[in-house]
Amino acid sequence: MPAYPDAQLDVAGELLALLRDTTTEPRPDTQLEALTLAVAADLPVLLWGEPGIGKTAALTQLAEALDLPLTTVIASVHEPSDFSGLPIVGDDPAEHGVPMAPPDWAVRLVRAGRGLLFLDELSTAPPAVQAALLRLVLERRIGALRLPPEVRIVAAANPRSSAADGWELSPPLANRFVHLQWTHDHEVVVRGLGGTWPRATLPRLAPERLPEAVDFARRAVCGLLSARPGLVHRMPGSETRRGGPWPSPRSWEMTLHLIAFATAAGSSREVLSALVRGTVGDGPGLELLASLDRMDLPDPEMLLADPAGAVLPERGDLRQAVLDGVVAAVRNRPEKSRWDAAWKLLVHALETGAPDLVVVPATTLASLRQEDWDVPASIERLAGAVKLSRRADHAAARAAAVADAGAGAGAGAGAGAGAAKAAR
Amino acid sequence: MTADTRQAGTTLRTAGAPQPAKTPPPLGLGLGLGLGLDRDKLFAARLQAARARPYLATALFALHTVESRRVPTMAVDRHWRCYVSPAFVDRTPVEELAGVWVHEVSHLLRDHHGRGDRVARERGLTGAGERLRINIAADCEINDDVFGDGLVRPDGAVDPESLGLPEGELMEDYLRQFRLGPRTQSVAWLDCGSGADGLEREWDLGPDGAHGLSAQERDAVRFRVAQGITGRPGTAPKGWQRWAREAFHPPQPWRELLGAAVRSATTGSGAGEDYTYGRPSRRSAGVPGAVLPSLRRRPPRVSVVIDTSGSVSDTELGSALLEVAAISRAVGGRRDLITVLPCDASAEVVHPLCRAEGIPLVGGGGTDLRTGFATALRTRPRPDVVVVLTDGQTPWPDTPPPCRTVVGLFPRPHVGRSWREHDPEYVPDAPPEWARVVAIGSAAAVR
Repeated sequence: MPAYPDAQLDVAGELLALLRDTTTEPRPDTQLEALTLAVAADLPVLLWGEPGIGKTAALTQLAEALDLPLTTVIASVHEPSDFSGLPIVGDDPAEHGVPMAPPDWAVRLVRAGRGLLFLDELSTAPPAVQAALLRLVLERRIGALRLPPEVRIVAAANPRSSAADGWELSPPLANRFVHLQWTHDHEVVVRGLGGTWPRATLPRLAPERLPEAVDFARRAVCGLLSARPGLVHRMPGSETRRGGPWPSPRSWEMTLHLIAFATAAGSSREVLSALVRGTVGDGPGLELLASLDRMDLPDPEMLLADPAGAVLPERGDLRQAVLDGVVAAVRNRPEKSRWDAAWKLLVHALETGAPDLVVVPATTLASLRQEDWDVPASIERLAGAVKLSRRADHAAARAAAVADAGAGAGAGAGAGAGAAKAAR
Repeated sequence: MTADTRQAGTTLRTAGAPQPAKTPPPLGLGLGLGLGLDRDKLFAARLQAARARPYLATALFALHTVESRRVPTMAVDRHWRCYVSPAFVDRTPVEELAGVWVHEVSHLLRDHHGRGDRVARERGLTGAGERLRINIAADCEINDDVFGDGLVRPDGAVDPESLGLPEGELMEDYLRQFRLGPRTQSVAWLDCGSGADGLEREWDLGPDGAHGLSAQERDAVRFRVAQGITGRPGTAPKGWQRWAREAFHPPQPWRELLGAAVRSATTGSGAGEDYTYGRPSRRSAGVPGAVLPSLRRRPPRVSVVIDTSGSVSDTELGSALLEVAAISRAVGGRRDLITVLPCDASAEVVHPLCRAEGIPLVGGGGTDLRTGFATALRTRPRPDVVVVLTDGQTPWPDTPPPCRTVVGLFPRPHVGRSWREHDPEYVPDAPPEWARVVAIGSAAAVR
């Protein structure tokens, strides 16, 4: 063993090199994908995550993918003047004003003209530092400098439960951010420490899909908000949701941008869900996603136009929603041809899926029959559904007899009878 | 539900040889062996279930049925597949099958697999026995109010009563209250699958199998069901209404909320640690011409006003008081900067508590909350934050006090009863808008 201390350091260096020798494997990463899209859309992002779960590692990966130089600034070790600039008192302040001198890293960033600025530990800094930082994030100004548009900013904070000093965003500030919850995946961490880190394939915007993406996003948001005016603006009410995302015209516009970006990148619903819920909050976000699901369903009018070639969704609840939509469309414009087409569709549904879904739409459709309409021949093939319905009725009657509660059986009796009457 | 489903049930995804099925309970065995699944009977039962519980129809129809001979009865997995044993369908009447449908879908809606995993991790529960206990506890949570009113209790369904437990609690609570023993022998064959306790089963098709719902789709189904329940209250029983309220807004533990409220009140401007231009920084000498702020600390002063009648339990009051004291110290308040003012009725409860904890007690809180406030604000130096611990049966000050106010509100006893049942004359006011209100009580997990 050599007696020189520097040789010891060489050995240590070798050991460190061995430890750093890791491989990567492709693995889908929803939260990183969501972050990439939000950064690409140039919206202020706030990552909420416990300390030490690899937020910085994720940002490094993101900077590589977007080909931007990464500048990390740990907020809690800075002073407010580092972000708001140093007031330099000159010869004649009344004449020239007091210029605010920016720190050197900001000057470098502006000179480079592009970059990814990561503001870590936002929540552990003193209030004055946080105020200066938020100004940087939201107004993109450091002292007298203005950051060029090619600089993207991501901030990170610890959630309230683990923040040492109970920091929280006021609702007006919270409304300006896309909030992304950053969690660690147990399996990923264990595999990573074993030497294999995940390599996320980041979303790419497809140039040919841009107009379609904008159109889709506008239809989605406008469709929901015209049906639900109450969702346009709703201040957070309870103590639980303070400092989180909430719906306002501003955050809906951000949502629209994010939907367009996610559509243009062909991202999964999981990613979109994280983005939308992190911008307008859980409730309105889920409503929006539900209305997107409805937009994906086939249009009732198209189905009625071509019942033979109809492709119904596999999933039972979606299939029932489609059939209900078809019956509602016939109710809105009752014509013999449309009524017949709807029966064809129901038969098609019965032959390709579970029979119990068809019973309620069939009953409703039967009740729409008008005096001079003849019953279509295809209705014979719905006999299975009628039998099923009767069977359920009998079971319900037995259940009522057992419990002598007598509730719940009445609704079913009408259904079987209605369909049977139509079938005669 | 097409041909590929029927294959999915019988072909094995694992390359190994099929293992022998678990022994189902020794009744009706052999009736359905060799026969395929009686789909009509199964779906008639689902239709009856959807009619009896219209608010669950979306969830019932979202389940994807898979025929499986290895399942003892019916079981679900976390991807909303429902594995059905043909023999079980044959030997069970339609009305009981309807009850089983609702029971299985309840496991999924209430996220028993996720909660089961969490509980197992938190309490270190390992092994099949513990998972069976989780399954039984989850069944107890569902079965206490799911049957009746058009649904028949299936044969052998476990409920809290049969284990000698109270009704209306959550899986997490039930888990602490029973062990596997003679009382649970009769349900030892029961298995609702990985959807009920989080443990993968040999028949599960896994995340890559066909027709599974993704996490986002599962959320969407849950959300639609919850919306249906909150949109038409009155049809669903109380347990489901509570589930619908909390499905997407789980209650946070009150300690965290109270802590956050007190912390943010004590660290607001004027108290705690912050930069100020009021005094020049000591660095200024090195940077001529620049004006630098200096970092100053001012420990926050917290006044706790306690106004409770005898209805609040000492343990809850004590824990809330300790919480406030601990937080005030954590943000740099010294012990002598916390004062406690009990109002008349609560004095005898508070005195021993404060003595035991060494918290300084200031007398003269007055007879109700308004005088308590006034006394707290008269103390010099004036408090930065007033924390009020109250059960709400009190008049509030008309004007906001000149400092931040946090209200810890104890739940009224007999939740769910209106005030008028107790006392037809008196309805107390809700806490005012200018205070941050945290409800104190044991925040339960989501049902």
